[in-house]
Amino acid sequence: MAVVHFIVVGLLLTILQTTLCMRTPVSFMAPDFYYVLVAYLALRLDMLRSLIILLPLTCVLDVLSGTILGSYALICFGGYFLLRQLAIKLPVNEILYHLPLISLSFLAVSWLTYLFFELLLPDQQASWSWWKMVLRMLLVALCSYPLFLLFDVIQKYSQRSFLSWSKLRLRSDNRRRRA
Amino acid sequence: MRKKPTRKRSDRYRLFRIVILAGLLMALAFIFLVSTLGSHNFGPLHKLVLEVVGPLQKTVTRGSSYVETFKSEYIDILQDSLRLREENKRLVQQLQENENILNKSREAMATNASLRKLLEFKNSLDQQQVLAATIVGKDPSALFRSVIIDRGSNNGVSRGNPVVNSDGVIGQVFAVTPNYAKVLLAIAPSSAIDVLLQKSRVRGILKGDGTLTYRLEYILKTAEVEEGDHVVTAGYGGIFPTGLQVGVISKIIKKPRGMFHEIEVTPSVDYQKLENLLILQQPQLGEIEQMGQH
Repeated sequence: MAVVHFIVVGLLLTILQTTLCMRTPVSFMAPDFYYVLVAYLALRLDMLRSLIILLPLTCVLDVLSGTILGSYALICFGGYFLLRQLAIKLPVNEILYHLPLISLSFLAVSWLTYLFFELLLPDQQASWSWWKMVLRMLLVALCSYPLFLLFDVIQKYSQRSFLSWSKLRLRSDNRRRRA
Repeated sequence: MRKKPTRKRSDRYRLFRIVILAGLLMALAFIFLVSTLGSHNFGPLHKLVLEVVGPLQKTVTRGSSYVETFKSEYIDILQDSLRLREENKRLVQQLQENENILNKSREAMATNASLRKLLEFKNSLDQQQVLAATIVGKDPSALFRSVIIDRGSNNGVSRGNPVVNSDGVIGQVFAVTPNYAKVLLAIAPSSAIDVLLQKSRVRGILKGDGTLTYRLEYILKTAEVEEGDHVVTAGYGGIFPTGLQVGVISKIIKKPRGMFHEIEVTPSVDYQKLENLLILQQPQLGEIEQMGQH
């Protein structure tokens, strides 16, 4: 159920980002909610489920934004694997400690993707602006904490749903017997 | 045996006292009645009574007036304030409702003006099939510039269709689905439009750079170019009709090296206020072939 819930949440966040957060077609202060979800998946969920969630999310992002198909897939999967690798080495699993990591990885992955596409398809993207991207990075950092809390709630809700494994599993008749 | 005569005597004495007192009171009452009815004047008794009762009366009257004043100053004010609060609440609600209606009417008027302008522009485009569309989504990326509109192939939109509004060129359709389409804005770095300088008829290529200005390329240094010159679509590619307003030259950078000018063009369209737009539909290839056969 967590997969379905997170796909729906990712879709809603993307729609929010492309409509309400974008006051004008040239506004650049739209927070990249999708990347926070990518970070959450990398830091809190197992790989199989995360990849299942990321596939439709990147597809939706590529459809609604950009002119180079696959650019969001590169950003999302790049960010996901980078954060996953870094998270393994981190001793603390608290969101507040992860905030700089998430925001810096967003900046790094965006920049690398930009360079990659500049090499492959020149003159297809607007020129890189550090101050704009740093602002967006700060927005990602600002959104991360509340969104992580929201995602935690969603995950807890998903575990408690009526189809959870713990409720469906068979119990032995003797409740006092310990395995 | 000894106590009985004493008791009898005291009873008799008590009766005597009552009779005497009653007689005295009756006599006083009689005197009072006679003196009152007879003289019609305030006698000493009356004066005494008044002097005694007066202060009491005064105190009570003052007290009551104090109570009245207190009531009028505090309790009535309290009641009034409660009433006023209710009234204020009602008036604020009414004001909010009116403001809401006013905002809606203002919005309707603005939309009406915008659509009227668009309609006038649509009527001015001769023999061109035009379809109105609304922006439903905007590209949040800092590196690309596109919008999603609420018209698709079911409405006759096809890839490459020019998108304009009453101010000029906006971009062209980049991808189409049955009910929606993605429009590549002219300010996008991957956009390139064939244009003319309206005054000198010099041809160039207009490119976007992701900001709110265009770059005009391939204008030879020998060509006559001035700031303030109007840039219009050339119509060579067959996508855009000729003469559509694109922008105004805002800056010419003359470099000693190279063959071409570096020119900045300010768009005629306000990209910050894009809302409604028009899609110029072109005849499909099948239709063109049919026309050729006839």
